[in-house]
Amino acid sequence: MSVGLPLEAPTVSGPEEGPERSDFWVYLARKIGAAIVSFVMLLVVGFVIFSLMPSDPVSALTRGRPTSDAQMNHLRQQLGLDHPLWERFLTFVGHTLTGDLGYSYEYHQPVSTLIADRLWPTLLLMGTSTLISIWLGMWLGIRAGWRPGSALDRGASAVSLALWSVPTFWLGLILLVVFGSGSVGGMPAIFPAGGMQTHGTAGGLAPSHITDVAWHLVLPCLTLVAVIFAQYVTIMRSSIIDERGNPYLLTARAKGLRDEVVRRKHAVPNALLPSVTVIFLQIGGMIGGAITVEVVYSWPGLGYLTFTALRIPDLQLLEGTFIVFSAAVIVCNLIADLLYRALDPRVRRQ
Amino acid sequence: MSAPEQSPARETPVVEKAPSRLVPVGRFVVTVLRMPSGLFGVLVMLAFVLMAVCAPLFIHPSDLSVTQATGPLLSAPQHGYPLGTDPAGRSVLLLVIWGSRTSLAIGVMATALTMVLGAGIGLIAGHYQGRTGRLLMHVTDWFIALPSLPLAIALAAVLGQGATSITIAIGVTSWTGTARLVRAQTLAVEARPFIERARALGATDTQLITRQVLPNVMPLILVSSTLTVASAILSEATLTFLGLGDPTSVSWGSLLNNAFMQGAVTAGAWWYLIPPGIAILIIVLGFTLVGRAVEHALNARVSPR
Amino acid sequence: MTLNEGPTRGLRRRRSVAALAAAALAAAAMMAGQLAGTSAQAADPTTLTVQADTQMTTFNPFLSYYDGELNILGAIYPTLTMLDDTGTPEKYLADSWTTSSDQLTWTFKIHPGLKWSDGEPLTAADAAWTFNLIMHNATAATSNGSLVANFKSVTAPDATTLVIKTKQPQANMLYLSVPVSGIPIVPEHIWKSHVSGLKNYRNMDFPVVGYGPFVLTGFKTNQFAEMTANKDFFLGAPHYDKVVTNYYSNSDAAAAALTSGELDQIGGLTPAQFNAMSSKSNVMTYQTQSSGWTAIEINPGAKTRTGKPLGTGNPILSDIRVRQAIALGVNRPELVKKVLDGNGIVGAGYLPPGYPQFFWKPSPSQSLDYDPARAKQLLDQAGYKMGSNGVRVAPDGKPLEFRLGIHSDDATDAAIAPYLKEWMTAIGIKLTVNAMSFDQLNNDLAKGDWDILMDGWSTGPDPTYLLSIQTCGTLPEDNGSNGNTDAFFCNKKYDRLYAQQQTQFDAQARAATIAKMQSILYAGNADLILFYKNGLDALRTDQVSDYLQGAKQSDGFYPLQHGFASWWKAQPAAGAASASEKASEQSSNAFKWIGLGVLVVLVIGGVVVLLRRRTAAERE
Repeated sequence: MSVGLPLEAPTVSGPEEGPERSDFWVYLARKIGAAIVSFVMLLVVGFVIFSLMPSDPVSALTRGRPTSDAQMNHLRQQLGLDHPLWERFLTFVGHTLTGDLGYSYEYHQPVSTLIADRLWPTLLLMGTSTLISIWLGMWLGIRAGWRPGSALDRGASAVSLALWSVPTFWLGLILLVVFGSGSVGGMPAIFPAGGMQTHGTAGGLAPSHITDVAWHLVLPCLTLVAVIFAQYVTIMRSSIIDERGNPYLLTARAKGLRDEVVRRKHAVPNALLPSVTVIFLQIGGMIGGAITVEVVYSWPGLGYLTFTALRIPDLQLLEGTFIVFSAAVIVCNLIADLLYRALDPRVRRQ
Repeated sequence: MSAPEQSPARETPVVEKAPSRLVPVGRFVVTVLRMPSGLFGVLVMLAFVLMAVCAPLFIHPSDLSVTQATGPLLSAPQHGYPLGTDPAGRSVLLLVIWGSRTSLAIGVMATALTMVLGAGIGLIAGHYQGRTGRLLMHVTDWFIALPSLPLAIALAAVLGQGATSITIAIGVTSWTGTARLVRAQTLAVEARPFIERARALGATDTQLITRQVLPNVMPLILVSSTLTVASAILSEATLTFLGLGDPTSVSWGSLLNNAFMQGAVTAGAWWYLIPPGIAILIIVLGFTLVGRAVEHALNARVSPR
Repeated sequence: MTLNEGPTRGLRRRRSVAALAAAALAAAAMMAGQLAGTSAQAADPTTLTVQADTQMTTFNPFLSYYDGELNILGAIYPTLTMLDDTGTPEKYLADSWTTSSDQLTWTFKIHPGLKWSDGEPLTAADAAWTFNLIMHNATAATSNGSLVANFKSVTAPDATTLVIKTKQPQANMLYLSVPVSGIPIVPEHIWKSHVSGLKNYRNMDFPVVGYGPFVLTGFKTNQFAEMTANKDFFLGAPHYDKVVTNYYSNSDAAAAALTSGELDQIGGLTPAQFNAMSSKSNVMTYQTQSSGWTAIEINPGAKTRTGKPLGTGNPILSDIRVRQAIALGVNRPELVKKVLDGNGIVGAGYLPPGYPQFFWKPSPSQSLDYDPARAKQLLDQAGYKMGSNGVRVAPDGKPLEFRLGIHSDDATDAAIAPYLKEWMTAIGIKLTVNAMSFDQLNNDLAKGDWDILMDGWSTGPDPTYLLSIQTCGTLPEDNGSNGNTDAFFCNKKYDRLYAQQQTQFDAQARAATIAKMQSILYAGNADLILFYKNGLDALRTDQVSDYLQGAKQSDGFYPLQHGFASWWKAQPAAGAASASEKASEQSSNAFKWIGLGVLVVLVIGGVVVLLRRRTAAERE
């Protein structure tokens, strides 16, 4: 899914709700309550969607193998696929809350194990990309917003717009062909054609392993950054533009401070406050980008796992990744709500 | 989107009707076209739509036919094939032009679905501000929490691959933004006195919504829909690339999916990989610029700075 | 006036410079480490590194079905017999065998004095235990259950004798326990304790106790499996010390790894990749004959075991003339040329060319080669007149419109579908293509809710199972369950011949019976075999030799290969890590050094510019 470029810096569902605004703990309790309700609804929707599919894991288990139909039937009975719907839902909820997300017949492993294995690569990819995008977005957005209409501002907007209009996976494909395949022109493959590490290298924290993973991370990270940094530019830019109108900055300038200092020491810190919460909100949008990047580069993370689960499809695995992704977004939104409240004294005092 | 401010000249006494839209529309279009980005965007939009609609006039079934393709298999641009050939020997240029039809069609239909869902829910939530409204907003907020691509993948896995499920998946995952915007705008519009007067005069809810609120919300929906088309085209390409679309129909996403699955990367078939992406880039850029220009024009008209 | 700007600004400048320097150093270290890493990695001559055919998820031989797993199981567990280059069984664990006069009792002499890798003796008792488990435990029957369906009892009267009694004479006994495609023998003393939890046991306690040319010593999900050579293997030690099979989820990455020297051999290339690899230095690309086929199956009238019609298949297709017309309307050589880029063999017979002893071709008079004129004539004569919109109409008014179901994740299916659609349009039949998931397609198949489906199978050297799925016995019961049929084909004569070939111990007689069966299938037109796709592989001639088993055939393709035999017999190429390899390594390294240099220059330049900007502000 394309990451949505907002028309403006998106607003958190803040001041327009509810009468009480002074008690932080009540706010916290309400937000956590809402998050829990969201999570329960998520479980219901997830269960409903994935129960609609007729599936026969036994035929998937034994496909192409010389298994007689009597044996397949016996296996079906063994797997207990014939309980009533409501019973299965309760079992499903109970299992999910205790961390049992089902069993993947494709991989012969519990879904939670598979997800736990793939969590780190996705976190690494998304985390690195977010950090770089924030840094780049800040650098560019602040300077662009400080002088709206300048060449830098217009240039930054143009580049951001162009990069947002490009499909993430296509950008990844192009980078892969040019830098990773060694098949275009005479250019050899500078970066790997996919994967997270060279097979056979030592694992863990060995320096060669770290550099190996970093080398594999370059292209996927570059692709993801190219597409998402535009959002951070927009956010920082509009924050700075909002800040610029503030009277206290006039005072600072009247004091004789140089423009750059006014910007760096006074405007930016205040502009950053709301931006921080927005970063957490953007994570939900970044998941789609991360999935496509992982697929193009065969990066062994949760996104790639979701993609491979589509094949048969492996419904338990799809359900598991869907729940994990959605729960992550719920948690991030919760953090954003809390940060918004905690960081910005102006909101608190309303 | 900032709520349009009222200027005193707007208030007319006695009977309130939604002001006629015809004359301002003409001026509005000119405003949009005066902006270079707006002009570029509109030209691109028209060019692609024209190309998609007229494609059957200059592309014969034999150009798209695999059994009648006579070109060399997966070869670089050469005489007669300006953008090279695909693995079946067909001209990539003609395929890209033909692919615009499916991509645009799905983009537009998904947008229509999004608009109907989003605007409908937004209008209702904004109008009925009691329990119904709050409930709808909770549902919207909760939907926003669902990450769009995993949800689309889940839907497509369940509904089965194909253009219909992609359209539904895009619609289901995109309506929340529109709903929120429309609701905010509805609230703003309903705060105006002429709504109160119409209510006092005995207008029913349906009449209020369709005759008073909707025309005022329409510009916002317009802007939103151009931007949604852009985003829907991107989503269609992504979902088809991931294999959730109909593999036998020609669309930009399926061309790229084909290229990826058939090893175009190792073969270095840049002529097969680059054109569909460039096409997507240009058309999305076009729609986005038009949307932005329309938004600026609306803002400039309503609250002149 | 700036009061405290000076020292702060200087401090900030120093911090930025320091940060940039640190970044440059990190980048340099990263590239240096990478260069060091790759050159060390690529040139280990005693390890054979190949691409895994598929992903590997479990090494439990009772549950496995992925080729990547089966190849490994074939190398780490022994079997009663193994197959030579021509596909004929020869001795492995069993030194010799005899059959009783009524052909119902087989007595195998197990090679004495062998020990499992943990030192325990390897005896006939282990073999008996393995077979009995599959016979009596439903979970254990998942992978290979039907292979022992005809066994009455399996006993081991002493450590070197294995006695198998069958219910009917079983001609293919020597194919049942062969590496990769048959039943591997597992150590009873290890597996006894895992029977109760068999479903969840993945057999990943390394080193895995087994016997064979290799021992499984490591595995990482979706990455690699690692085996160490067993130098005491009684049939000859492997030449390599280690074998590593790497899994690449994307064949482009695998191709890149072969080019850079990380891999010695890869398989499963697409035609486009195959062509691209052919031009690379030190890379030999080769094609291997197929062990399977790609086909379309046509619903001949789905029925249950008792003859009750089942499902929503279009009844027009039960008319054999329509199916024949479809066969005449498909240009199979064109499919091989365009879809496979010539890398395959035109389809006809039911058993693939990888097994030459069973490969059958129809006679010229029987053959339904591409002839659209004849197809149209046939349809006209049968009463299916051309309608006004180009679609033929049956006598009862129903149009000849059929659904074609394809696998949504299969690139070849998607490539073939447009051809079929166009060829059918040319003879007046309309095809609607539906892409479906694997599950959904199988679901529809089992219920009879299909007209035409893409179909594909492969087989081991014994074709019994593949032949069985066309028998009437695999039709489902009236309630739709318990079916295992491939295309709802049912022919009494075919069933009789099937029963007969199971008891024919004479290889030639059996082959003749099977040939007759293939003839019946061909005439039945329920499965239209489109082509046998060749395996498209490549290897590094400068790194490995003797990997390919068997000689090139007259059609330019190599015989079917087995991972097990290739890994065992391959050896490092003479002068591996030779000068030419080092040179190409060095040139690609050179580019990396250049890139590194450019990076450093840019960073230094950036630092200088920054410094000047800061001091310029001061200088104002």
